Amino acid sequence: MTATRRLLFEQDAIAARVAELGAEIARDYAGKTPMLLGVLNAAAVFLADLTRAIPIPAEFDLIAVTKYNDREGIRFEKDTTHSIEGRHIVIVEDTIDTGMTLQYIVKTLKARNPASLAVCTLLDRPGSRIADIDIAYRGFEIPDVYVVGYGLDYQGRFRELPALYAHGDWPAK
Amino acid sequence: MATSRIRFAHPSEEDLAKLLDFYRIGWEYEPRCFPITWGAHGDPVEFFTPDFYLPEYDLYIEVTVVKPKLQTRKNRKVRLLQQSHPGVRIKLLKRHDVERLCERLAVA
Repeated sequence: MTATRRLLFEQDAIAARVAELGAEIARDYAGKTPMLLGVLNAAAVFLADLTRAIPIPAEFDLIAVTKYNDREGIRFEKDTTHSIEGRHIVIVEDTIDTGMTLQYIVKTLKARNPASLAVCTLLDRPGSRIADIDIAYRGFEIPDVYVVGYGLDYQGRFRELPALYAHGDWPAK
Repeated sequence: MATSRIRFAHPSEEDLAKLLDFYRIGWEYEPRCFPITWGAHGDPVEFFTPDFYLPEYDLYIEVTVVKPKLQTRKNRKVRLLQQSHPGVRIKLLKRHDVERLCERLAVA
């Protein structure tokens, strides 16, 4: 069966919004060297574009957390390469919905004494929020749809699509 | 809280408990019963017990049913709770939302 896809945000719209976010981050971190911390895998494409849209010196690193079906509960599957103590950290996420993944990441990273910690997300699905999280930089707000493209996948597929799509007939039931 | 020791009213509540456990978010199941209406003599006559309490977020969660009639009844209780206990934060989650959330996390 072929799943249907509905265009949510075109490539140009994404590029324009990423440029705006980059400018905002550059303004807020003028005189500092922020470290962008991308959450693998889905945020990788966004992180790559965002890093290049920030016209001030910035570094980036990558983390990954275990998937929901891991019996031991959430934990870092891949940790930061460098210490974040005393650094200005911007967590870069692809999507924030319940906020539960992010609350774990924020809690874990805060314990490592960064100079500051902010959150940047490409997509925000506030209707699903359970854990309240301050989001400093938000790309687009989306309804309750499953999104693919621009790094976001469905069972490992569709990450390569340059735009963002609502996948299948979600929510269908 | 150990999910296995709780007798949940509906499987979707157990699903939510498992989600919270996975994300290491502390929760309590039906820890408090709120009076929401009072009789002529000031005695409480109607109560509401939200399904979950998340101490870290000072947030109650009520998992609702999909049937419109029952949902209307639940919405009324939530509204009365908010009126009589304005400091209490509560979020309504439809059972279907919980199921879809689990499904979305499973395929991502």
